[in-house]
Amino acid sequence: MNKAFFLKRVLEIIPGGLSWGIIVSLILMSFLHPVSSAIIIISFDFYWIIRTVYLTTLLVMAHSRLFRQRNEDWLARCLSLTSNLGFQELYQVVIFPVYNEGLEVLRPSLLALSSSHYPKEKIIVVMAFEERNIQAHDNALILEEEFSGRFGAYLSTFHPDGLPGESRTKGANATWAAKAAREFLDTRGIAYEQVVISCFDADTCVDKEYFGCLGYHFLTSPKRHQASYQPMPVYNNNIWQAPSFARLVEISSSFCQMIESMRLEKFVTFSSHSMSFKTLVQIDYWPTNMISDDSVIYWKGYLYYNGDYRVVPLYVTVSLDVAYSSNIWRTMVVQYKQKRRWAWGVENFPFVVGGFIKNNNISLFNKLRRSFHLLESHVTWAVWAVILVVIGPLPIFFGGTFFSQTAIAYNLPKITGLLFRFTLLTSLTWIFLSWTILPPRPKGISWFKHVLLILEWIFVPFIILVIGSAPAIDAQTRLMFAKYMEFNPTLKGNKVL
Amino acid sequence: MYAFQKIRSLLFYLSVFLFFAGLPFILTFALGYKFNTHTLKFVKTGLIFIKTQPAGAKIYLNDKLISEKSPASIQELLPGAYKVSLELAQHYPWKAQVEVEAGKVSRIDKVILFPVRPNLQQLNQEEFSSFRIDIEKKVVYYLDQEKKVLYRSNLEAHNFEDIATLPDKLIQVNGWEVSSDQKKIFIFNPHQISVIFFDTQVDDEYTASTVFLDYPQEKIINVFWHSDSYHLVVLTDKHVQVIESRWGAVPTSLVELNKGGSAAFYDIKEDVLYFSDSQRNPEGNFYNNLYKLELSANLLTRLNLPGLKAKNE
Repeated sequence: MNKAFFLKRVLEIIPGGLSWGIIVSLILMSFLHPVSSAIIIISFDFYWIIRTVYLTTLLVMAHSRLFRQRNEDWLARCLSLTSNLGFQELYQVVIFPVYNEGLEVLRPSLLALSSSHYPKEKIIVVMAFEERNIQAHDNALILEEEFSGRFGAYLSTFHPDGLPGESRTKGANATWAAKAAREFLDTRGIAYEQVVISCFDADTCVDKEYFGCLGYHFLTSPKRHQASYQPMPVYNNNIWQAPSFARLVEISSSFCQMIESMRLEKFVTFSSHSMSFKTLVQIDYWPTNMISDDSVIYWKGYLYYNGDYRVVPLYVTVSLDVAYSSNIWRTMVVQYKQKRRWAWGVENFPFVVGGFIKNNNISLFNKLRRSFHLLESHVTWAVWAVILVVIGPLPIFFGGTFFSQTAIAYNLPKITGLLFRFTLLTSLTWIFLSWTILPPRPKGISWFKHVLLILEWIFVPFIILVIGSAPAIDAQTRLMFAKYMEFNPTLKGNKVL
Repeated sequence: MYAFQKIRSLLFYLSVFLFFAGLPFILTFALGYKFNTHTLKFVKTGLIFIKTQPAGAKIYLNDKLISEKSPASIQELLPGAYKVSLELAQHYPWKAQVEVEAGKVSRIDKVILFPVRPNLQQLNQEEFSSFRIDIEKKVVYYLDQEKKVLYRSNLEAHNFEDIATLPDKLIQVNGWEVSSDQKKIFIFNPHQISVIFFDTQVDDEYTASTVFLDYPQEKIINVFWHSDSYHLVVLTDKHVQVIESRWGAVPTSLVELNKGGSAAFYDIKEDVLYFSDSQRNPEGNFYNNLYKLELSANLLTRLNLPGLKAKNE
C-alpha cells in the first residue's frame, strides 16, 4: 500500500468513523452511564435549538434579500455599468448535461432559457447528451430544430462512454461539453475571460433575470474569475403535483441552500451554478470521476487560487423538479437515493484535505477551518436525527432503576419537551416562508391544496426519521469501506414516474 | 452584503454566547443543583413528584400550602425529611413523611384519594346468613338459614325473588354453592350434601325435589360443582370423590388421602382440582405436596359415569 493511497483511505474513513463513533458511544453510554448520556443529550438538544433559531434567522434574512431583489431589472443595471467592465463583450455559455431525461424535461428548461430577459445572441447553449443514450441523437435533432435559432449559438454534444479515467458521472459529460464549447469559442475568437459558464441540471428552469443578475455580479465582483456564482435552487417545477412527503423535503432543501448563502465562509457550489470560463479551463474543468462535481469544482478553484476563491450568492431562483414517484414508498426510495447522492459530497473531505496537504500557500488556519467546516457539516448531518429521535429516549428506557430515581432522569424528558416546543415557533416561520416561495397554483388544483401545504408539516418528524440522517450514514459508511457510489441520477419529470 | 454579514456575525456570536451561558443553568437545573444565595455555593437538591387519583389535590409541604396542585413536582428541595399533605374537597386527606435525597426524585405517584362518602349501597332486603355472587357477576344469591330460604337479586338490588326453600331436615350448613347453570345449589355439612333445585326452574332432565347424599363414614371437607352442573367433586377427610347430584348416587373415589382436612381449590373452567395432601418420604417423614387432579369430561368418560353418559347422549 503506497503512502498516498493509505492517506486517501484514512481520510475516507474519518467522517464515517466519527459519525459511527458518536452514535455507538452514545448508545453504549445510555446503558453504561446514563447520567453522562443524559447530560450530553440535554447539551445537544440545547445546541440544536440555538442552532435552529440561528439558522431560521439566517433563512429570514436570505428570504428577505431574495424578495427584495426579485423585481430588480438586472439587465438595466448591467447596461448602466461603465463600458470598461465589458458587459457588451460578455458571453454566457450554458451547459445542460443530459443523462437520460426526455423532451418533457428538457423542453421547459430551454423555453425558460429562451424567455430570459437577456440578449439571446450572447447566450451559447450546449446540450450535452450521453452517447450511450439511444434517444440522444433523436432528441438532439428535435431540440435543435426548435431552439437553435433562438440563441447566439446552439450546440449538441455527445459524450462517448468509457473514456479512460472517467466514471459515468455528470461531471464527465459536462467537461466534454465544456471542451466542445471551448473549441467553439476559439473558432469565434472569443476570449475566455469574457465568458461566464453555467452548468445546469437538465430540469433547471432559470428565472428571467438570472443572466442579468449573473452578469452584473460577475462584472462588478472584485477578482471576478476567482469566484463561483450560485443561484437559489427551488424545487418548484412540479411542486403542486408532488406528494406531501417529497414536497416538504425539497422545500427544506431549498431553505437549507438559502441559509448556506448567508454563511459565506462555508458556502460551496451546489447543483446548478456558474463561473468564469477562464477559471474553468485553468482548473481543468469538472472532475470526471467524482459524483459531487458541483461542489468539487469549487474546491478545485479554492486549491488553485490558494484559498482566494469564493462563492457569490445570487438572489435569483432557478427552479428544478421535485423528485417523486407513483406512490409514497417509491417516492421515499427516490428521495432517499437523491439525498444519499447529495450526502456523497462527503467524498469532498479526502479530496480537500489531500489538496490542503499538498498546498503550502494556504494558511494553516484556513486549512483547519475549512476542513473542520466540511467534516462538521457531514458528521452533523449523519448524527443529528439519530441523537434527537433515537438516542434521546434511550437513557429513560435503559438507564435502570438507579437512574430512574435521579433528578436528571426526571428532568430529561421535561427539558427536552420544553426546548422542542420552543422550536415550534421556528417551524411556523418555515411554514410561512414555504408559502411565499410557491409558484402560482395551476388550474385544476384545488384551493384545498393550500391548506394541505400547511397541514403536511406535521409529517416533519417522520421525514426526519426517514431521510434525516440515514442517507448520510449510508454514504459515509460506503466511503469508509471503499464501496464507491456510481452516479445514479434522480428520476425526475413533470409527470409522475 | 457587508451589512448582512455583520448582522450574521453578531447573531453567530450571540448564539455562541447563549449556548455557553445557558447550558450551565440548564444542566445544573437538570442535575438538581440550586444556587444558595446566602452561602454563594451550589447545593445539590432533590425533588418530590406527586401524582394523585383524582388529580387537583392541594399540596402542603411542611404544613405550608404550595401554589401547584397535583400532579406536580416540587423542585430544588434540600435533602432531608418533609411532611407532605394532600387535600382534596370531599376526599380523605393523605399524609406522609417523605425523605428527599440529593439529586434524586422521591415519587409519590400512586396516591388514591378516597371519597369521604363512598358510594355505599345496600343490596339485600331481607336477613341473610351468607351470600354468593354468580360467576358472571350478574346475580346475588342470599341464604337465610333461620328462615331456610334462598333468594336472589341483581347487582343493582332489583328483581328480588325467593328461589328455593331449604328442607327442614337440613340443620347445619358448612358451605353452599350455586351450580354454573344457575338452576340449583348444593349445601353441605360434615355428613350430608343436599342438592336443592330452584322453584323457578322446571327441568325435565332433573327431578325438582331435593336430593340428599349421605356420608356417614367420612367427614366432608369441601364440595365443588363440576362444570357440567351435574357432578359434584367432594373432598372428604379420606378421599377425593365425584358423585352425581341424583337420588341414590354412589360416589367414585378418585384419590385416597393421607391427611384429613386438605386445602383445595377447584378451577371450574378447566375442571381441575388442586389439593394438598401428605406423603411419607423414604426417611419416614410426612411432608405436604400440592396435587393437580384433572376432572375434564374426557376423564369422566373414562370413569364410565352413567350421568355423564346420559348428558352426552
